[in-house]
Amino acid sequence: MITRQFGSEVRWMLRRPRTIIGLFGLVLVPIIISFGIWTAGDGGGGPGLAAILQGNGMVVPIFTLFLSLNLLLPLVASIWAADGLAGEAQHGTLRGLLVAPVSRVRLLFVKLFGLTAMSLFAVTLMAVVGIIAGTAFLGTNGMMTLSGTTLSTGQGLLRIALFVVLVTFQMVSIGAVALAVSSTTEHPLVVQAATMTTIIVFQVLGQFSSLDWLHPFLITTGFPGLIDVMRDPIPLGQIWDSTLLAGCYLLIGTGLAAMRLITKDS
Amino acid sequence: MTTSTSAPVTAPTQQAVAARTRGLRKEYGSTVAVDRVDLELPEGAVLGMLGPNGSGKTTTIRMLLGLVRPTQGEIELLGRPLPDGAEQALPHVGALVEGPGFHPFLSGRENLIRCAAFEPLLEKRRIKQAVEDALERVGLAQAAHRRYRGYSLGMKQRLGLAAALLVPRKLVVLDEPTNGLDPAGTREIRRIIAELHDRGTTVLVSSHLLSEVEATCTHVAVLHRGTVVAQGELTELLQAGGSALQVVTPDVEKALSSLRQAKISARPLGEGLRVELAGTSAPQVIETLVQAGVGVYEATRWKTGLEELFARLTEAEEAERGMSAVDTLDGGPR
Repeated sequence: MITRQFGSEVRWMLRRPRTIIGLFGLVLVPIIISFGIWTAGDGGGGPGLAAILQGNGMVVPIFTLFLSLNLLLPLVASIWAADGLAGEAQHGTLRGLLVAPVSRVRLLFVKLFGLTAMSLFAVTLMAVVGIIAGTAFLGTNGMMTLSGTTLSTGQGLLRIALFVVLVTFQMVSIGAVALAVSSTTEHPLVVQAATMTTIIVFQVLGQFSSLDWLHPFLITTGFPGLIDVMRDPIPLGQIWDSTLLAGCYLLIGTGLAAMRLITKDS
Repeated sequence: MTTSTSAPVTAPTQQAVAARTRGLRKEYGSTVAVDRVDLELPEGAVLGMLGPNGSGKTTTIRMLLGLVRPTQGEIELLGRPLPDGAEQALPHVGALVEGPGFHPFLSGRENLIRCAAFEPLLEKRRIKQAVEDALERVGLAQAAHRRYRGYSLGMKQRLGLAAALLVPRKLVVLDEPTNGLDPAGTREIRRIIAELHDRGTTVLVSSHLLSEVEATCTHVAVLHRGTVVAQGELTELLQAGGSALQVVTPDVEKALSSLRQAKISARPLGEGLRVELAGTSAPQVIETLVQAGVGVYEATRWKTGLEELFARLTEAEEAERGMSAVDTLDGGPR
């Protein structure tokens, strides 16, 4: 029964025109980045990852996801979370599901599964397109790391897979908090606005050194540390901290959403 | 009748019930949407829930389906207490609440398939057939491939009905099912309700259209200002409303004075008069009229319609509260 509900949820998300448009938009990011670096030629580059992109196509997926995690991926997660509960409530379909009946806790898990499956799909899709576009435009010869070593293609792919999982987890955690907001309203836009405002405000707050004490609690603080995946060997400290922080957001978001859903009148 | 409006007309019976509420109350902030609702839905009945807009019909239905938590009171649905028993009871309940709710970007069929995926009683391999059957049943088979966005109000309503009928149900709850339907569509809904009734399915229909209820229901519950002002079998309720004789005559004045002399209450109405049959009988009235030399063209027994009963129940209460000075329909002396 639950697998059938999971299946229905993912099919439903994939059938949405905005999902298709969103995925299409996401896929454009690695293509544009690869193309941009390619046209910039040797004079291009920049700080950190951007500096090693030239002639290093395998880094494009990592660079793309790293960039997108700041704004684009949270936006997509918030849209899915918004449609999941607030959108269903707005269309009156939430009532139908509850009367079917789907227990409210079960419904939250179906929504969380849909969010996870679609996030993983979107991030993987971006990575795959990134590998293809990066290799095509910039060429590749293994994967050069930030530590200056070069990894074999196989190891490079493993690093990309690891990064995909880490980024997906961050995205789902943000989505879980967005689901909590989503359970309180019938207006999907409120959910998106609230989530994106939070992400942006967090990033701004992260710039103020006077707010040092607050930084460990902001999910956005953990984003930059994920790039350690590109070092050789991988230092696990920051990656672990970021993931743990995201895990807390996931638990709190899910908990709040469940509490709200259970007592909600619909 | 006006004095007994607040009490249920029939005493609760020992008959099996499909749903029952006791002392139901729902507050939204400081407003009380529903209060002291004791509703009884006998098994196999078609219960028409009547009430003006805002009388608490939908709130009651939402509580009955476990969508809304009552502030106070108990609900029993198909023998299970709510909300704890919702997962056992609700699979047997089909519902169309507060208008149809579907996704605009999916076709009618895809929408139903999504509904079907969440129906616990529907096996996966039977989903396809169940969806087609339901579409056929509500007459949407031709339009099933079109997007819900482009559906007319009537088609949306039909799709909502189809979702309620995906699985054979023990109880079907229809909240204003004929909203937006043309007369043919309304007849169709009546036919479906009659079919369900024949199969022994209990049906709860809420409506503000009295004719609809009168045509399809065996039982009626009248809600007013968030509480049940009358409930029981339709025929009993109507009988309790008393009866009258409609007499068509050109000599209204003469007829009225002769009846008054015979101490029979009557008042002019249309092309003749309306005579109350309280304490008298139809032959007696006609005899009185004929003896007085009044030409009687036609005399028909006037059965209290639901409309009249409804008006009396809802307006009488308002008059009691001093809300309205509108006279009830039969203001004549008894």
